Amino acid sequence: MSDNIIIKAENISKVYNLRRQKTFKEFLPALFSGSDTRIKLNALSHIDFEVKKGESLAIVGRNGSGKSTILKLIAGVTKPSDGRITVLGQVAPLIELGAGFHPELTGRENVYLNGSILGFKKKEIDKLYNGIVEFSELRQFMDQPVKFYSSGMYMRLAFAVAVAETPDILLVDEILAVGDTKFQEKCLRRIKEFQKEGSTMIMVSHDLNMINEYCQKILVLDKGKQIYFGEVEKGIDKYQQLLS
Amino acid sequence: MNSLKKLRSNLKMMWDYRELLWNLAHREINQRYKQSVLGYAWVILVPLAQLIVMNFLFSIVLRIPSQGIPFIIFLAVALLPWNFFANSLSSSVNSLVSNSSLITKIYFPREILVYSTIIAKMVDFLFSCIALVIFFLVYKTTLTLTLFWVPLIFVIQIIFTTGLSLILAALNLFYRDIQYLLNLVVMLWMYLTPVMYPVEIVPEKYRFIFSLNPMSVIINAYRQTILGGGEPNYFSLTVAFITSSVIFAVSFYLFKKMEGEFADYV
Ligand SMILES: Nc1ncnc2c1ncn2[C@@H]1O[C@H](COP(=O)(O)OP(=O)(O)O)[C@@H](O)[C@H]1O
Ligand SMILES: [Mg+2]
Repeated sequence: MSDNIIIKAENISKVYNLRRQKTFKEFLPALFSGSDTRIKLNALSHIDFEVKKGESLAIVGRNGSGKSTILKLIAGVTKPSDGRITVLGQVAPLIELGAGFHPELTGRENVYLNGSILGFKKKEIDKLYNGIVEFSELRQFMDQPVKFYSSGMYMRLAFAVAVAETPDILLVDEILAVGDTKFQEKCLRRIKEFQKEGSTMIMVSHDLNMINEYCQKILVLDKGKQIYFGEVEKGIDKYQQLLS
Repeated sequence: MNSLKKLRSNLKMMWDYRELLWNLAHREINQRYKQSVLGYAWVILVPLAQLIVMNFLFSIVLRIPSQGIPFIIFLAVALLPWNFFANSLSSSVNSLVSNSSLITKIYFPREILVYSTIIAKMVDFLFSCIALVIFFLVYKTTLTLTLFWVPLIFVIQIIFTTGLSLILAALNLFYRDIQYLLNLVVMLWMYLTPVMYPVEIVPEKYRFIFSLNPMSVIINAYRQTILGGGEPNYFSLTVAFITSSVIFAVSFYLFKKMEGEFADYV
């Protein structure tokens, strides 16, 4: 891979099996009748793109077009069914809505758990901890189980953890839309700082102004197919044609 | 050779992830007892209660022979390791499902979730051994040098337990019935393992069932080496070691093969 490319997707496809039988009650009859009750869903087909170090990429498309799936492939939490994806560098935990922390654990415990997954020693997390609390503005909630957090609080903590130590790659899935504008601006300022330091952000967003301001490349998807990859301006045009 | 190398690099990776491994184990230990009044004392109280009731039932009511050793001790040296085995399996089977929030957000070797569960159960087990020490003192049991075999037997038990746990945890993601089925299997398995009775009272023609069961070999070996019955049966122990290692290797291989799809199914 040429020296400053940090993410390279080569002809990747992702197929999900739907109607999986989660119980024997469903599975055994299917097995004996010989029918494969699995339905395959092509979430992504033949996607090709690359991101250089320090560059940021926006992914746009309608709901269900496979945007989150691409983030999951970059995060390494799921594998492509076909093709190859190469990611160099430390990837921060995917920031998205919904469960991401362990609901029963407190904010503090979740911070430590996430830190150790990222390979930090306890001492290193101790050092980062204050910054995380400060950034999230959740000091009085850190000893509460995360299940009692609102989605805004949740997102604050997720973001604060992900950006605690400059990651090489930051993955943000439609999350900057929640939370108040003030916090959103704070996040965006932090993202700008990162970009200056050479980090890469992959962002799923419907906010075209934000994309214009923060991203250099864009990937336009429709129903799992790649419509366009390249310069932002042209990509936004293609995306708008798609929507109309 | 190649796979040995892979195993070695995997073990080295686990060492790099030791912080996480310990963090997760710690969480598992804490969480269970956080909200209870007696807290961690439960790890001793539960086996103690089991021992007292089973002792009454099997020794006094059913008069099961125990090779001249106080029955409660005869029982304890088998029951505590058995509990470790059973608790490890029943917790591991859920270890992937219950950590879906982590699995879908960030990559780390998923087997860590299984390993940390087993480490937590191992800590519980070591504490529960306090009950055993109490009985040794009460009955003034004399221990012999063959006790030195115990760590080796323990290692075999861990390999066997981890192997089964890996595959069960992975399969449970795809078919949630596994966890219910497991409860049943573990209960029946206990009856077919000489925990509550000596294997000697089993009719000769049925004994083969026990030699096919690694847990039976392991439990017998503990009893023999701890209670001064002499050296363990080397042949059985070797077979148990090989069986356990093969089960571990196959499970590990399948686990790693399925790993990339875990996040799609949780
Ligand atoms: N774990 C999964 N199992 C089955 N289907 C899935 C799974 N995750 C996503 N999908 C399907 O894949 C398609 C793309 O999903 P996603 O990447 O979440 O789209 P987007 O983020 O663009 O809305 C959708 O049709 C969705 O239903
Ligand atoms: Mg999405």
